[in-house]
Amino acid sequence: MTATLACEGLRKRYGDVTAVEDVGFSIAPGQAYGLLGPNGAGKTTTISMLVGLLRPDAGTVLVGGTDLAADPRRAKARIGYVPQEIALYPELTGRENLRFFGRLFGLARRGLAGRIEEVLDLIGLSDRADGRLDTYSGGMRRRINIGAALLHRPDVLILDEPTVGVDPQSRKAILDGLELLVGDGMSLLYTSHYMEEVERVCDRVAIIDHGRIIAEGTRRELIAMVGSADKIELVLDGDVEAAYAKLRTVEGVIEAARTGAESVRLIAEGGRYLLPALISAVEGSATVTATQVIEPDLEATFLHLTGTSLRD
Amino acid sequence: MWRAMLTVSALELRTRLRDGTAIVIAVIVPVTLATLFGLALGGDDPPLRATVGFVDLDHGEFPASVRREVLASEELKGAVTLRDLPGEEQARRALDAGEIGSAIVFPAGFSQSVGAGRGGDVAVLTSPESPLAGVVAGAVVDRISAVVDARTLAVHAVLLAGVPGERVKELVERNGAAGPALTLAEDPLSGGKVDLSVYYGSGMAALFAFFVVGASFRGLLTERKLGTLDRIRAGPVAAWVPVAGKGVVGFGLGVVSVCVCWASSTLIFGTTWGDPVAVFAVLVAHVLAAAAITMLVASRVRTDAQADGVIMVVSFVAAFFGGSLVPLYDLPEPLRAVALLTPNGWTSTALTELAGAGAAGSVGAVAGPIGVLCAIALAAGGTAVAGFRKGLLL
Repeated sequence: MTATLACEGLRKRYGDVTAVEDVGFSIAPGQAYGLLGPNGAGKTTTISMLVGLLRPDAGTVLVGGTDLAADPRRAKARIGYVPQEIALYPELTGRENLRFFGRLFGLARRGLAGRIEEVLDLIGLSDRADGRLDTYSGGMRRRINIGAALLHRPDVLILDEPTVGVDPQSRKAILDGLELLVGDGMSLLYTSHYMEEVERVCDRVAIIDHGRIIAEGTRRELIAMVGSADKIELVLDGDVEAAYAKLRTVEGVIEAARTGAESVRLIAEGGRYLLPALISAVEGSATVTATQVIEPDLEATFLHLTGTSLRD
Repeated sequence: MWRAMLTVSALELRTRLRDGTAIVIAVIVPVTLATLFGLALGGDDPPLRATVGFVDLDHGEFPASVRREVLASEELKGAVTLRDLPGEEQARRALDAGEIGSAIVFPAGFSQSVGAGRGGDVAVLTSPESPLAGVVAGAVVDRISAVVDARTLAVHAVLLAGVPGERVKELVERNGAAGPALTLAEDPLSGGKVDLSVYYGSGMAALFAFFVVGASFRGLLTERKLGTLDRIRAGPVAAWVPVAGKGVVGFGLGVVSVCVCWASSTLIFGTTWGDPVAVFAVLVAHVLAAAAITMLVASRVRTDAQADGVIMVVSFVAAFFGGSLVPLYDLPEPLRAVALLTPNGWTSTALTELAGAGAAGSVGAVAGPIGVLCAIALAAGGTAVAGFRKGLLL
């Protein structure tokens, strides 16, 4: 199957500084792909090359099999680009902004009005479409910013930090909308500072640092890179010492430690599935009154691979 | 792609009209300033006084007739003074020193040569500092040429008829063929008058053309700041669309602006800028050059604020040295040479020529300045496109 968006060997240098080196990945139809990296890692440079704003020093970009360098207009017609900033005209209304970009991107006049209504409905701004953009809240502007990229029904939507500075309600609306789009078969390339957004929206994730992709895979594959053991916190009532001795012998438990008079911490494989066996094991000695299973997450993987927090 | 360009143009025009910059910069300010300057300083210019050098190496009837005619002319009385000079070299020195505005040089044997039907050459020395004196000398020599032609023709005819050479002169004059008597045109000064309202009207038009077209190219930098330029470039449109879309509107508004200045000057002061087709051609060429120069500025600066500053400096420098603020003849000689480096200098020269020539002017008469303006546009525009490729296009 032809990838909706594929790049290979992308390189961009500014003098002696290498912004991006040998970046490559592939996004299948209907796949949501996340690009994670700290500030200055090369995310925006990569995206700029993918949408044709920067000419790479080396490497290729294929959009639905079309070489971006050889046939940029055809390739770009399949891309919806949502820049990091609100790239819209503040003196125009939301609807006028959409109409401008719709016409610019070649939508026929006859179908444009209907398509604008569809997009407004999708981003939940039908009732505010005729207000000037400079009267919108940050979240509403973000949503119109995304809407302008959807007008020409692109095959792949490229979003560069689309939720920066928005309120939780708008963020939820944006993420809900993106999940709908992916559900309808649109491919997605998503960069964000918010790990939970990437974890929620994306099927596959690449971690980029110092201009290079240092890890790539599904969420589970990435997490497995730093080990798959879960942390299980138990609170016990009864003979805690005897219960602790029993818990250490349960199959799957790698490590155990007393963390208090009534609490025990276990390191185990597949912690969530192990809970019934743990509860059964302490029967007769103690009762489990509270449990907490902490699974390793992408944030931990990110920290492990880059040595820095995503928000640094 | 044309549809995409028209979409950009439509938004640009709408924005310029909505924020009022189009009306204010293109119409209200230049027309108001030109009118105020015209009212305050308008009138015939340069002052109707000129000294014409007179070099008579011939001492024959032609120079005598010219002297007589000039001194007798009612139109020239009090305005033109003849100053005798011993030779052409002295006349040149006096001209360079500004002591005379032009000179007419009759070579030795001129009258005799004409009388014998061999014609003759009269030299006219002029200076751009005194267009009036040049016009007077030119008018006089035009009349001399007509008389010489008539006399030469008559002599040839008589000789062909078999009249002996020694009787030719007597026969020609007796039979009324134009002799050395010379009559000046009704108003030899008519071609030399250029009302200051024309200078200032055309000057303001030339100056504000830069601001009008510059605002559109500045808009490209504003769009880059907003991020909308990148958004357009990331879409399925050709790279030249945003530049061309805005440039077309800037150029169109620039042409409207200069034409409004021209129309208002003509209507308010009742003056003429000369042949309309030629004037329009000069103005369009000027706007083209201004568009290319401001595009070059936009391609070389980083922000719209920088563009504002640089365009303002470029506009005023070109306007000052190019005769848009001060008539060229009022500038010292070295600065007049600098004028030729500015589009305004060529525009001012062409429009002054057309205004001075009145109905006799034509596109052909100002083809040189128009050509130079187009060359400036080509050079600046080409350099700008190369600059855009590095920053705004690719």
